[in-house]
Amino acid sequence: MSEPEFPERREPDDLDALLAAYALDAVTDEERALVEARLAESPELRAELVAHREAAAALADAAAPVEPPPAMKASIFDRLDEVPQVPQVPAGSDESAAPVGPAPQARASGDAPDAMPAQAPAAVPASAAGQGDPGTSVAGPAERAARRRWFQRPVALVAAAAAAVLVIAGAVVGVNWPGPAGWGAQRAVEAIAAAPDAESVTVASTDGGEVTIVWSAELGRSAVRTSDLPDVGADSTYELWYIDDAGARPAGTFDPEDGAAYVVLEGEFSSGVVVGMTIEPAGGSEAPTTDPIVVVET
Amino acid sequence: MTLAQAPIAVVAARRVTPVALLPRRTARSAMLGHVTDAEHGPAASDPTLDELLVATGTGDRAAFGALYDRTAPRVLGLVRRVVVDPAQAEEVAQDVFLEVWQTAPRFDAARGSAISWMFTLAHRRAVDRVRSAQSARDRDARIGARDLDVPVDSVAEAVEVRLDHERAHVALAELSELQRECVMLAYYGGLTQSEIAERLDVPLGTVKTRMRDGMIRLRRVMGVST
Repeated sequence: MSEPEFPERREPDDLDALLAAYALDAVTDEERALVEARLAESPELRAELVAHREAAAALADAAAPVEPPPAMKASIFDRLDEVPQVPQVPAGSDESAAPVGPAPQARASGDAPDAMPAQAPAAVPASAAGQGDPGTSVAGPAERAARRRWFQRPVALVAAAAAAVLVIAGAVVGVNWPGPAGWGAQRAVEAIAAAPDAESVTVASTDGGEVTIVWSAELGRSAVRTSDLPDVGADSTYELWYIDDAGARPAGTFDPEDGAAYVVLEGEFSSGVVVGMTIEPAGGSEAPTTDPIVVVET
Repeated sequence: MTLAQAPIAVVAARRVTPVALLPRRTARSAMLGHVTDAEHGPAASDPTLDELLVATGTGDRAAFGALYDRTAPRVLGLVRRVVVDPAQAEEVAQDVFLEVWQTAPRFDAARGSAISWMFTLAHRRAVDRVRSAQSARDRDARIGARDLDVPVDSVAEAVEVRLDHERAHVALAELSELQRECVMLAYYGGLTQSEIAERLDVPLGTVKTRMRDGMIRLRRVMGVST
């Protein structure tokens, strides 16, 4: 039905239109981030998206089906062992879901991560948004509140620590699996960088290579882009951490290709948290077991 | 009663909240008026795609194999339509199925059908591929040459698949021409709303309206209710 003119309420209409476009993947990275942020907080919107997607299935089926070559199935099955399944999450879990996330981390013995001195960032752009909360040592109630929020986030943001895989907020609606350091991740990183309040810092890793950390408090997300990181071999992996007064929370592992990776950190970013990076045994650790090679205050 | 309930070691090894397994398969048909998978199942006793995907999520490779057999032509068809190049399309489709395997534990039948979940993954990846730098330069030429039916070399034989295909065509025919154009440029062309506006030389707001109205109409035609 055509109803070309909108009533006064611009915003919801825009969001309606944006959601339809999102269901068709007809959005920019920035729009995607925006929609996903709204989806995370609105069950109604998620239901609406499901309906759009059921309808979009008609578009998919309108494409002529193509019989895959017989070898394709075998080649997929050959690779199943390379892609361990992600942990299950409670069905229909929304904000009400029981927490299944990692318990707050005990401190790693020895090098307490939150006591690590922050490296002098090589190039700190002026804080455009003036988020002003440089403190990293004060946490207390605010941090605990943030943690509670984190536990209440739906699906993607909760069950991650046990899995050596990357989950970004899009998985809230059961999709958007970019794979570690995949092209989806690259786009997600760009989306964060495109946020109005985005800030970034580029530092040298103590082991060589460069790491740029990008964050947006508005989106509640942060990401890293790496270049020239040394290969750590199959037995080790790079792991990211959100570090605050309560210790270090695992924020995902990744294995760069030729030293390069785009990774969105798992978990909710909140202003003032410290982002760290370590090399851990393959599969990642629940708490850092090695000295950090990158530490950045946000 | 089905594969989905067969307890499998993988499940026990994981940290699974028991309630997670309860409401999975029940809520959906009440939520969505139309159930794609159930209608054209090869036989009444066969598991639905939803059931197969849920079982896949427990690490059941046989279920994944069956799921593949019944959906691969549809998934590859979609990817091929967007990506066009056959070799690249196969590559993307393989990645899609690996991702299906990997993330199946997150599938929640209460939030939509298995096939739309899989199409969502497939479409996202296909669009990623065409938007990547390598493919961008070929894009304009390809999109210009499109219409609803792109001939392909090998068309799936399965009746189930063909029926879905035909039904989808009927549904699309219910859109206005302008709506269809917009929705198809987005879905098959991998274009954003602003790119479509530019291509069609119409205001962005017009594209938004057509796209939204087109999707609403499609939902109605497909019998999808929220």
